[in-house]
Amino acid sequence: MEFEAVIGLEIHVEMKTKSKMFSSGPVSYGEDPNTKVNIVDMGFPGVMPVVNKQAVINAIRVSHALHMSIDDTVMFERKNYFYSDLPKGYQITQQFRPIGSNGYLVLNTSQGEKKIGIERLHMEEDTCKQLHSWDFSLLDYNRAGIPLIEIVSRPDIRTGEEAAKYVEKIRSIVSFLDVSDGKMEEGSLRCDVNISLREKGTEKFGTKVEIKNLNSIANIQKAIDFEISRQSIILDFGGVIEQETRRFDEGSKETVLMRVKTDAVDYKYFTEPNIAPIKLSKEFIEEAIKTSPELAEVKLERYKKLGLNDYDSSLLIADKDVSNYFDEASKSGANPKLLANWVIGDVQSILNKEGISIKEFKISPSYLSELVLLIEQGKVSNKQAREMFAKMLENPVSPKKLLEESGTSLISDEETLKAIVKEVVDANEQSVIDYKNGKDRALGFIVGQIMKKTQGKANPGLASKLVLEEINRR
Amino acid sequence: MRYMNLSIREIHDAILKGEVTPLELVKEAIESCKKDDNNSFEYICEKEALERVNKLDPSKKDSLLFGIPVVVKDNYSTKDIPTTGSSNILNNYVPIFSSEVVLRLEKAGAIVVAKSTMDELAMGGTGTTGHLGITYNPWDKSKTHLIGGSSCGSASSVAAGIVPFSIGSDTGDSVRKPASFSALVGFKPSWGRISRFGLFPFATSLDHVAYFTRNVDDSAIVLNVLAGRDDKDFSSSFKPVEDYTARLNEPVKGKKIAVIKEIVESISNVAIKEAFNKNITALKEQGAIVEPVSIDSKLLKAIYPTYILISCAESTSNNANLDGIKFGPREPGESFEEIMTNTRTKGFSRLIKRRFVIGGYSLLRENQDKLFVRAQKCRRLIVNAFNKILENYDAIYCPASPTAAPLISGSSDTLSDEYLIADNYMAFANMGGFPSITLPLGFDGELPFGGNLTGKPFDESGVLSIAKVIENATGLKDLVAKEGK
Repeated sequence: MEFEAVIGLEIHVEMKTKSKMFSSGPVSYGEDPNTKVNIVDMGFPGVMPVVNKQAVINAIRVSHALHMSIDDTVMFERKNYFYSDLPKGYQITQQFRPIGSNGYLVLNTSQGEKKIGIERLHMEEDTCKQLHSWDFSLLDYNRAGIPLIEIVSRPDIRTGEEAAKYVEKIRSIVSFLDVSDGKMEEGSLRCDVNISLREKGTEKFGTKVEIKNLNSIANIQKAIDFEISRQSIILDFGGVIEQETRRFDEGSKETVLMRVKTDAVDYKYFTEPNIAPIKLSKEFIEEAIKTSPELAEVKLERYKKLGLNDYDSSLLIADKDVSNYFDEASKSGANPKLLANWVIGDVQSILNKEGISIKEFKISPSYLSELVLLIEQGKVSNKQAREMFAKMLENPVSPKKLLEESGTSLISDEETLKAIVKEVVDANEQSVIDYKNGKDRALGFIVGQIMKKTQGKANPGLASKLVLEEINRR
Repeated sequence: MRYMNLSIREIHDAILKGEVTPLELVKEAIESCKKDDNNSFEYICEKEALERVNKLDPSKKDSLLFGIPVVVKDNYSTKDIPTTGSSNILNNYVPIFSSEVVLRLEKAGAIVVAKSTMDELAMGGTGTTGHLGITYNPWDKSKTHLIGGSSCGSASSVAAGIVPFSIGSDTGDSVRKPASFSALVGFKPSWGRISRFGLFPFATSLDHVAYFTRNVDDSAIVLNVLAGRDDKDFSSSFKPVEDYTARLNEPVKGKKIAVIKEIVESISNVAIKEAFNKNITALKEQGAIVEPVSIDSKLLKAIYPTYILISCAESTSNNANLDGIKFGPREPGESFEEIMTNTRTKGFSRLIKRRFVIGGYSLLRENQDKLFVRAQKCRRLIVNAFNKILENYDAIYCPASPTAAPLISGSSDTLSDEYLIADNYMAFANMGGFPSITLPLGFDGELPFGGNLTGKPFDESGVLSIAKVIENATGLKDLVAKEGK
């Protein structure tokens, strides 16, 4: 029998706002446990939630990027359940009126373009991180209260590849909008998969299986591919799919049973009485969108207009921080093409070699653009620029200053250089004759003599040109 | 010479004149706390109060609350001072922060001398259900009548002259009802007027900060200290505060006061009827327009069940952090579920668990529409009905209770089906967030009873000015139980 997979994804994105969703506690990652918390995060009796405005702005921006309608009334509900990782005994979330609804994303897959519907986007708060040992459990409240965006797709996804592309696109959006680091391995982007199979051509949904514990985009694809084949085999042999939660096992590359789902938990949702509905003005929403950082697609368009080719542009936007570095550097008016070559060439190779991100890179965008401008103005040769680049890695100073200090600025003044050229040509009449007799190498020799005389400071391009003019005159 | 039976303003003047020092006042209050035989206190802050009074900045002595002892209900978080909400589940809980109300009192120079008893977690109206047992009414020497709750200890300590004012909380009528039973002024300002940060939530949408004084002027003085926006409480209002003492002597002439016919008619107590009618006559003589107004009695009868459903539902969620893992004395268990179940089973009394069951049941998916959501719709209808009256009147005035303090033996907090309109209507002011004040109206034998005046949201000044006229008409102010009327 031929089956079709029906897949929906639930993505949780941790926002990197300064403070938490409902408290002034700091948002952090990788800090010592229970050092980034306050009384609100810990749910002390009597504390009250205060809505983080930046989190609302972020949610509006992501909703907009996902082509969703944005609710101009922000409301929160309590999701009530007893669990060890839940400080207050309830989670504040948006159950009844998500801030974003009815959106879509268009994916470029190997089978062509595919539109995936998105049902809802809502804000909520994260829970504590739990660390289980054999006879005790530890709670880290640092994560408690960190703002989350949950994005729920419609069951429009059919393959592991589509799922991976979908998550990659969401990751790019939240990352370019500065909403989140979007790192699956650090848990700042988490994805649960709902998957069922049905006979191709039928409409009715099969029994749904949930897959959790997916820590990379590659694993999402692998888990789905595995699950499709697992369910296909069961169905082919006349078996029944159980409604259950499975997790992806990295070692075996298989999904394994976590728990069989019983009736859905009743979370007894009701409106959070501490937060009266917040009316968002049209201006507030428009401003949030207008001031939003650029999405990858928008940058790509802009790079095209700057004259960069598709390949260079795609390398720049592969990392949001790299493209931001490029944008910052190009503010000086340096030639974009030349600048891009430096960023995706010399800069990138240092990053790769040292295994660092561009945020840790020592040379500031403005210094790099200064260097490129020096090349453009003929004040330094490419070779010199590379040497200066190496020096700047050691000691990040302004290239202009570096040039002044070393006194190696190229002689690009035509009159100065002309005099030197005349002198050298006079002293090497034989070479002039050789050149005129067809020995091209003789030209190189004369230029070499000029470089020698100027201790390498002559602008080599200009020197060649002037030597030719001088020879032709004789 | 005793000072704690005087008004805030009298004590303040005595300090300024140098007749008494804050230290002497605190010592007097602490001594009275220790002698208290009404079970008013959870914790007497002797050491803490003496430390604080020694640190008072003399340059702030113009503040009316400078050096004045105050008692705070045990559901207000107080830094380094045990706070139990009169529940075993919070035994030994010592908060690491103070509620905004306490911070404002301290900033004004007031000295917290004790934390008062209450009905467990503020759920109850009798003053008999806290983990320390029954709190008695100082007006009743036989100790057979209750004082009412849930702010029982805060009421008894002011009624007994231990302190001139005290802080309570009011979710249904938890300050305004005990005020009626103990000859006090109990004021619950508008929802959002006073920050609730640090107040243990019972039913968030109905909870209000409220307090007891022995006269209307003092009530305005305390509001001047407590009112105002607090960024930590998202529900606190940005509305500018006023000087709430400014309009206290405004004449009542031409002001319109509505009396709810159905409430008054449901009362049979002769003393209350007579005192109320006499008071109305006095108001009319001063030019007030007092008129009977009708509200569908079905709606009035719906106030109590509506209140019960909403408050129980919200309380289940508000107390979910008390699970033995995050807060509360942890009971053993093999799993986190067992720990939570064992802790909550042991920590909460039967009455509290009963409320949680009712609340949880009304929130279940299959019941929400016919219980919780219906209660919310009902709340809207009730509030609309009272709002409609307040469109045409400056205030609503009725007796605060159908009797003076009832017998302890006759009381029960097991949600009796005796839904007397007059006994439970005051929760309408919590539903609508209206400013509402109870003040003494008369005595039935030895026991006091009060009247209740409710106004438009954020018209605290207007409500206080009419209350002052009522107070002048009855002549009942600065009443202290031990000394009789």
